[in-house]
Amino acid sequence: MKHEEIFDIIVRHTCEVIPALQDHHFQEDDSLRDLGANSIDRSEIVMMTLESLSLNIPLILIARAQNIGELATIIHAKL
Amino acid sequence: MNWPLLSMQNYNQHDAIVTGIGITSSIGQGKIDFSNALLQGQGRFGVMQRVGRQAPALDQTQVESNYSTAFLGAEIPKLVIPESIPHSLLRTASFSSQAALATLHEAWNEAQLDCFDRERIGLIIGGSNFQQRELVNTHQNYQHNINFLRPTYAMSFMDSDLCGLCTEVFGIKGFAYTLGGASASGQVAIIQAIEAVKSGKVDVCIAVGALMDLSYWECQGFRTIGAMGSDRFANEPELACRPFDANRDGFIYGESCGVVIVENSNSAKRTGVTPYARLSGWGMSMDCNRNPNPSFDGEVNVIQKALSVAKVKPSEIDYINPHGTGSGLGDITELKAIQHCALNHAYINATKSIIGHGLSAAGAVEMIAILLQMRAQKLHPTRNLDDPMESGYNWVRQNSIAHQIKNAINMSMGFGGMNTAICVQQL
Repeated sequence: MKHEEIFDIIVRHTCEVIPALQDHHFQEDDSLRDLGANSIDRSEIVMMTLESLSLNIPLILIARAQNIGELATIIHAKL
Repeated sequence: MNWPLLSMQNYNQHDAIVTGIGITSSIGQGKIDFSNALLQGQGRFGVMQRVGRQAPALDQTQVESNYSTAFLGAEIPKLVIPESIPHSLLRTASFSSQAALATLHEAWNEAQLDCFDRERIGLIIGGSNFQQRELVNTHQNYQHNINFLRPTYAMSFMDSDLCGLCTEVFGIKGFAYTLGGASASGQVAIIQAIEAVKSGKVDVCIAVGALMDLSYWECQGFRTIGAMGSDRFANEPELACRPFDANRDGFIYGESCGVVIVENSNSAKRTGVTPYARLSGWGMSMDCNRNPNPSFDGEVNVIQKALSVAKVKPSEIDYINPHGTGSGLGDITELKAIQHCALNHAYINATKSIIGHGLSAAGAVEMIAILLQMRAQKLHPTRNLDDPMESGYNWVRQNSIAHQIKNAINMSMGFGGMNTAICVQQL
């Protein structure tokens, strides 16, 4: 799976959690926090993404991601 | 429907007045649809279809012996959520929570609570363990993938999540809590709301009878304990719910949620709000009995307490909305209590015959049924009351009848020896 595909999965789940972002044009350097996702929203987005990928990794590994691009990169490295 | 204008003169400043209601049920969402269906006696019973309501597929032995575990009930056909409720909250809100938010929206707007200081508004949610089906479905979905369990489960599995949702959406700041009173929960919530308003703790208190979302586990439990029907009418679901009928064989579940806005009579006089009625008396009593069986003494006790607080003589009660579930012993006990309290002259019907038993919601929903009948000046029929188990009562049977309610009494009982009653007085 490519990095871009993981990025798209994260975006899809972000829109599920925050429907107001449906029309947002997502960029790699978008921060979930800056987009209005609180800590619960962010953990939901991450878990939904991991479930979509059937990827079982400790959440602590992805805590250092500063934006959606970095999150996709970390997840991509664990596939 | 035409709502008659009510006199605003017959108030006492300490009265607890109902200024808004909201209702969601199998026969209608919103008071107009609900009232119309209620007065026409339109039930909506069948084999329940909602995911998690029926036990997993029967094994071959059961199929061969023609044994059916299908549970009957009345389900809400389509829950409409108002646009103003944030979609981001709905994704993780249980069905019970969504029903409560939609129902509270109706009541809030009718009572025009936006004009109130939010610190002076309280919220009491009647019901405990009311999201069971949601939990069973979650457990089933993640039993082999628990590492992917959604983090929000840590919030949503608790009933008190509904307090958080309602207070966030409506800005309620006074207080909020859930309470458990089994099938009397809705009425206990109203009683607590009355006392919160009359004590001055808040000016407005919202009582919610939460939608009890049963899973097949609870349905099976109710069947095996002998409370839920219907073996007798398994192939005729529309006939299964028959409170006070000689051929009843237990309660039939029905999804519902009711919201009652209680406020003191000073604030209830504000422009643009048409109060429904005064909650004139109430009583609650325990039987000191953990079991589900009813108590004649307990029921008599709360009826007499409610009448005493209301300062109403039994002869002045002209309508009874009973607990009336369709259970074998419960219905008999209730009728004996009514007779003992000299109330058997009053009209009596059974709301559960039309919408089923809402369990935690029942007390609030039946209070709403009283208030809507009071406004409509009609009493709804009682479905399936083909052969009343007792004569000597003023049954409303096949058809609705014209009647202007002046003083009504509403009873609820719950497993664990709970008895409650509330008197309702026309303004």
